[in-house]
Amino acid sequence: MKKVLIVDDAQFMRLSLKTMLEKNGFHVAGEAENGILGIAKYIECAPDIVTMDITMPEMSGVEALKAIRKHDPKACVVMVSAMGQESLIKEAIINGAKYFIVKPFKEDQIVETLKKICQTKE
Amino acid sequence: MAGDHTLEPMLDMFLFETDQLLEQLEQIIIHSEQSDTYSATDINEIFRIMHTIKGAAAMMLYDNIAALSHAIEDVFFYLRDTNPENMDCTKLSDLILSSIDFIKTELKKIREGDRVDGDAAALNSSIKNYLEILKQSNPAPLENSGTGVISVTNQQYYIAQDKKAASTQNKCFKAAVFFDAGCEMENIRAYTVIHELKDFAEDIHYIPENIMEDDSTCEMIRQNGFVVRFSSDRPLAELHDFFGKTILMKEFQLEETDPPASGEKKARPQQIVLEDPVVKIPPSPEEGLPAKNSEIHSSNQQSMISVNVAKLDRLMDLVGELVISEALVVQNPDLRGLTLDNFNKAARQQEKIISELQDMVMSVRMLPLTTTFHKMQRIIRDMCKKLGKDVQLELIGETTEVDKNIIEHISDPLMHLIRNAIDHGIETAEEREAAGKTASGKITLEAKNSGSDVIILITDDGRGLNKGKILDRARQKGLLHKPENELTDKEIYNFIFAPGFSTQDKVTEFSGRGVGMDVVTKNVNSVGGLVLIDSVAGEGTTISLKIPLTLSIIDGMTIRVGNVRYTVPITTIRESFKPQAKEIINDPDRNEMIMVRGQCYPILRIHRLFKVTTSVTDFTDGIIIMVENEDEVLCLFADELLGQQQVVVKALPPYIKNIRQAEGLAGCTLLGDGSISLILDIGGMMRRGYSL
Repeated sequence: MKKVLIVDDAQFMRLSLKTMLEKNGFHVAGEAENGILGIAKYIECAPDIVTMDITMPEMSGVEALKAIRKHDPKACVVMVSAMGQESLIKEAIINGAKYFIVKPFKEDQIVETLKKICQTKE
Repeated sequence: MAGDHTLEPMLDMFLFETDQLLEQLEQIIIHSEQSDTYSATDINEIFRIMHTIKGAAAMMLYDNIAALSHAIEDVFFYLRDTNPENMDCTKLSDLILSSIDFIKTELKKIREGDRVDGDAAALNSSIKNYLEILKQSNPAPLENSGTGVISVTNQQYYIAQDKKAASTQNKCFKAAVFFDAGCEMENIRAYTVIHELKDFAEDIHYIPENIMEDDSTCEMIRQNGFVVRFSSDRPLAELHDFFGKTILMKEFQLEETDPPASGEKKARPQQIVLEDPVVKIPPSPEEGLPAKNSEIHSSNQQSMISVNVAKLDRLMDLVGELVISEALVVQNPDLRGLTLDNFNKAARQQEKIISELQDMVMSVRMLPLTTTFHKMQRIIRDMCKKLGKDVQLELIGETTEVDKNIIEHISDPLMHLIRNAIDHGIETAEEREAAGKTASGKITLEAKNSGSDVIILITDDGRGLNKGKILDRARQKGLLHKPENELTDKEIYNFIFAPGFSTQDKVTEFSGRGVGMDVVTKNVNSVGGLVLIDSVAGEGTTISLKIPLTLSIIDGMTIRVGNVRYTVPITTIRESFKPQAKEIINDPDRNEMIMVRGQCYPILRIHRLFKVTTSVTDFTDGIIIMVENEDEVLCLFADELLGQQQVVVKALPPYIKNIRQAEGLAGCTLLGDGSISLILDIGGMMRRGYSL
């Protein structure tokens, strides 16, 4: 089972993602509510995939992405962002984000995205 | 989506979190308004809050909330980016506070299962207008003035590989990718394709070209697909595989093509080289030790969890049961007459742990009054604006903790009291100055612990209560129950809490309808609290709410009348004593009284009130318990005292509550020997005693 780390400052988003992913055969190995905690959790639970919100307190998703990729250049980080944050997503992709999910997301979209990413990884 | 029952926990979470964020937002706005400016941190924080609300609302398909929060997000995005100087803070605060109200109303509808049909179009457009005006008065500096690289728009971009020059054995391909309808941000999705493709392809050209710079390319990709030409040494099947893995793709076409004419390369005016990402972390305090840092953070932040209140209530019930079952064991009749040194030792230890557990569970349910108090700031702000008064709010002891259930009951009373204080208490600036006071009024909201109670004081420095006016009104309404000259000041003041009482001749938006003040007493009494009032003409009014810390476990004195046990809340007991025959007095109406230290108090025979048969009817055989409620004193007559113990209050079953006989009973509890004891409600007993 693929291990997923969810990084998002909104509890609601974490719960939504977790529910959707666990229903579809992913294992949510950890959750974090800002970039800094996200990095710590990444090191702690070494997930296969990270879903990373962009706008967060303490440390933004893009900064956290950079740090995680520095720690583990193979890290597979999927950005989760709202409409209107195109420029930040671009920055994230350039900095090694694997893909991105647009909020509001539908269950099938997110599951397809993550499953395809897993396939590509293999 | 909303019909799916698996969404329940998500809906709960949405409501919970959005509520919290709105509270937070309101605080920031009120704070910023006081300093008449939005600091950079505030702007960032508001932006983030609106962003989070927007995201969650969109997920839950509450489009009106999402749209409104989006509009506000846009404003703060602009503020964050441009930091304009001549912005109208007050207007913005007004807009956001109205938006908060709108969202709150919608949340309420959601909670009550109503249709979420609020129309925020007007609010939405005023926010957009605000942003427009702001933008016009702060013309943006020329875009991209500093970055020349991306200014050319009409060229084809290609991605050069630095590994090797385009080799001749490479074949050329053309692919067209169509994404799923509604997947959004097609341009960036297209970019990720290119990003992956460049690992094994060269000479990549694509249409539309400037996908990373121009978001309008989305529309082109939606209509014509994303077309890529490239050369690669990989076989067609493998490339087919690669494109097949594109995420959220509807379809794609891939074909081998002829190599482009050799001259074309030179015509390329510009290159953008996308290299493998070089991860650069700006030198910051976090660098090098993010893990260490976050450990500290996680120990702080992850130590909080939110728990469903229903579970806490259940836990509280269970602890209550545990207290009872402990008593059942320790006071078990089978143990009577046995020497049980070791058992007693163990029992004492257990008692200690259980009482600690009980304290702990209670403390878990305790919440600081901070949120409730801070809500008042908003009320004061709104009222001052409408009434043209200037009132400062001072909060003291806002961190005092009270049981969650109680907080819910005192929020409304506090609101009414504050409204009344501003509307009736605080004078206009002119009146105040004429009376030699500062132009701006002051309301103090103070909370403090006092034994097992919390006292909340609402003090204003206004004109004080008008005794004459209150008396007139009480006379009109027929509220006087004794001659006017015998009424104490406190009794006169207490009339304002009578239902339907209002001295204000005209009804204002906020108060004067006479509903409200009686709601205050009703709500406070329902949690076993008291409302006391004190006022000095010309100097102000103080209203104190005396509220128990918790409802579920009380210290009680168990008494016996006939075969029935009753529990009297310890807090109401003044003293208990064996009366002597000479102290008993009968008045001409055959009312029984007792003389204690020169004061005369009425006696209430419990056996008569509750119609219980008992052999003890002579005062000298039984015991007198002197109790008080709201400054009134009453002597209860019972057979004997059985002892003091903590009891868990259980509500009376509705079928008992519904018959009138339940007045004077606050609830019931289980005693250690398994028998039931009725908990006396002294206020109710007094009312019932009068009607006997």
